[in-house]
Amino acid sequence: MTMSLKSMRRALLAAGAMALASALPLKAQEETRYNVALLSDFSGPYADIMPILAAGREKVIDWWNATRGAQLGVTLNYKNYETRYDAAQVASLWPGIKSELEPIAVIGLGGPDVAALSERLPEDKIPMFMATAAYGYAWKPDSWIFNPRPTYSHESAGFLYWLRQKRGGDGPIKAAIMASEASPAYVDMAKGLEKYAEEHPDEIELVEVIYTEVQPTDLTAQMRRVARSGADALIIQTNTSIVVAAKRGLQANGADVPIMMSSHNGLPASGKALGGLEQLEGDYEAYGMAIAADEDTPPRQFYQTLSDSYGLKAPWNVVTAMGISQGLFAVTVIEHAIEANGPEGLTGEKVREALFAEPITTEETHGFLPTLSFTPEAPFPLKGLQVNVGSVRDGKIVVEATGAAIPNVEKW
Amino acid sequence: MIYVINDIITGALIGLLYALVAMGFVVIYRASKVFNFAQGELVILGGFIVWYTTFELGLDLWLAITLSLLLSALAGYLIERIFLTKLIGESVFSMVMVTVGLLILLRGIVLLLFGPAVRPFPVIFPLKPLFLGEMLIPMNLLIGGLITIVAAVGLSWFFNRTRAGLRMTAVAEDHVVASSMGISVKGSIAFAWVLGAVLSTVGAMIFLSGKSLTFLASEIGFAALPVALFAGLESIGGLILAGVIVGVAQSLATNYLDPLVGGALGTVVPYLIMLGILLVRPTGLFGWRTIERV
Repeated sequence: MTMSLKSMRRALLAAGAMALASALPLKAQEETRYNVALLSDFSGPYADIMPILAAGREKVIDWWNATRGAQLGVTLNYKNYETRYDAAQVASLWPGIKSELEPIAVIGLGGPDVAALSERLPEDKIPMFMATAAYGYAWKPDSWIFNPRPTYSHESAGFLYWLRQKRGGDGPIKAAIMASEASPAYVDMAKGLEKYAEEHPDEIELVEVIYTEVQPTDLTAQMRRVARSGADALIIQTNTSIVVAAKRGLQANGADVPIMMSSHNGLPASGKALGGLEQLEGDYEAYGMAIAADEDTPPRQFYQTLSDSYGLKAPWNVVTAMGISQGLFAVTVIEHAIEANGPEGLTGEKVREALFAEPITTEETHGFLPTLSFTPEAPFPLKGLQVNVGSVRDGKIVVEATGAAIPNVEKW
Repeated sequence: MIYVINDIITGALIGLLYALVAMGFVVIYRASKVFNFAQGELVILGGFIVWYTTFELGLDLWLAITLSLLLSALAGYLIERIFLTKLIGESVFSMVMVTVGLLILLRGIVLLLFGPAVRPFPVIFPLKPLFLGEMLIPMNLLIGGLITIVAAVGLSWFFNRTRAGLRMTAVAEDHVVASSMGISVKGSIAFAWVLGAVLSTVGAMIFLSGKSLTFLASEIGFAALPVALFAGLESIGGLILAGVIVGVAQSLATNYLDPLVGGALGTVVPYLIMLGILLVRPTGLFGWRTIERV
């Protein structure tokens, strides 16, 4: 077997190129990869909003990998796990997630994740970052689960505080609560506000606390009681189906009690389920996160960047905003950890330490969240708590208030 | 006092809605001795068919309702033909397990075809309630209650007074014996599933009229379970009384006891009633007492 001079020269060139390639610090070899687990609910009670929430947080990680991550030499891989919003499912999946991904952080969804993992994550030394408001039962020191927003009860108390100021006068504001026992989180939302109202009768008078099913059969009679009680607002932070049933109950009574929703059951989702946003004219959504209104704000501009350059298909609404804000919250903390420790050898523990080390500024989250300063005392920032209020006016979502103060809600 | 009376009336009407859904359990059980665990899923299947014909096909409401009932009947027939017909003569346990599989399958099909989004459901019954002085009665529940009573009377007559109904009862007793007597076991069971699916669709229309629809609406199947077992799985007429008792007890517990105990009692009361009656009378309030010759 003979080899031509030409072939030999080619072989030598190829071998030389390979040797050179292995000696050069190629970008791909420089990149350090870490995994992030995303807990999702594509077939449970939040299956209706999950695709757009998931799209928001995933595209933020894609954006971060292409921009900040590329500069730092770090790529974040992510994988969604279906939990059906069920604590038992989360608990059973967790050992597999841990061994498969060895994640440096978990991006959670809601109460069942908190209930299932609050005792395990400190042992595993992996922090979890949420998008939702926090829960009273998770309000403990030295947590490994962190919410960028205060508790739902803080958010509703902040809304009522704002509404009372808007109304004027000295008397307490009359409020009714509609909740469900289908999830500990729903009960918690009601209990916290009940406690606050009990301790501040001069501010809030709770006229009704009604528990119902996640898909109520009929709320006409209950809404009649709410209307008769002279309620200034009805707080529903559970799900869209309850908002729809309550609205129908109010309409059947010819009553016009404004409903306050949270981000996950907010105005766009509830309006769609009712057959039109105009049916929610004068109703509110309130939460410690940017309102996805029509105005040209920094959050809206960042959403546009994700849509134009990273293929985000989700519409501009509160659920997408929630996914984006969660993604930004998580990648910013990871970025702080990389800046403090270098790209190599990052662990969940270092990520958690970075959360306490410096604030996450509102600029870093493109205005989606206020500046957040975490301490080990609570799973959410205890100072500078604010709530934003959106409403439907002339069939459109508008910002009613930005940065409204939240009163001092004690633990319950 | 007026509120208490109003809560009793609303509770009774909700109980009648449960009775209508439970009627689906009973007609299938009376014809095949099969307890259909997928009853709630038949309700959402019917609900999605109504939603599809009204909003997606844009049909006139009455045409959409008629077409929905026909499509539900077809769905019930197909379910029996595909999954249950080959099990005739096999143990009841096998058939019941098939309905458990059907529950999961139907939920998956609904998610696959329609997705998880919360959708508006058409307004089939007037949204404005009936006011009787200080009392308020939701129109959908009132009309639904009347439909339930008419359906119960009609089906009782059918099962007890007609040849076809008595044949179905014979099929429920023993497939092999009924077959040897020249009764079409397949035909009887298929008809029962058609009836079950149609009743479920009517239940969906009353339950969801003007509200929202997701696959989670299937929970009503479990809410109807205590009514079916309380009445006794063979008694259609008994469902009316059982429905009213369960509905009223649930309404009073929810409105007057829940605030005292911190909630949850309203959802538990129907099951407590069910367990109580089953302890005293395992066949339910109006279930058949089987006489066996030794």
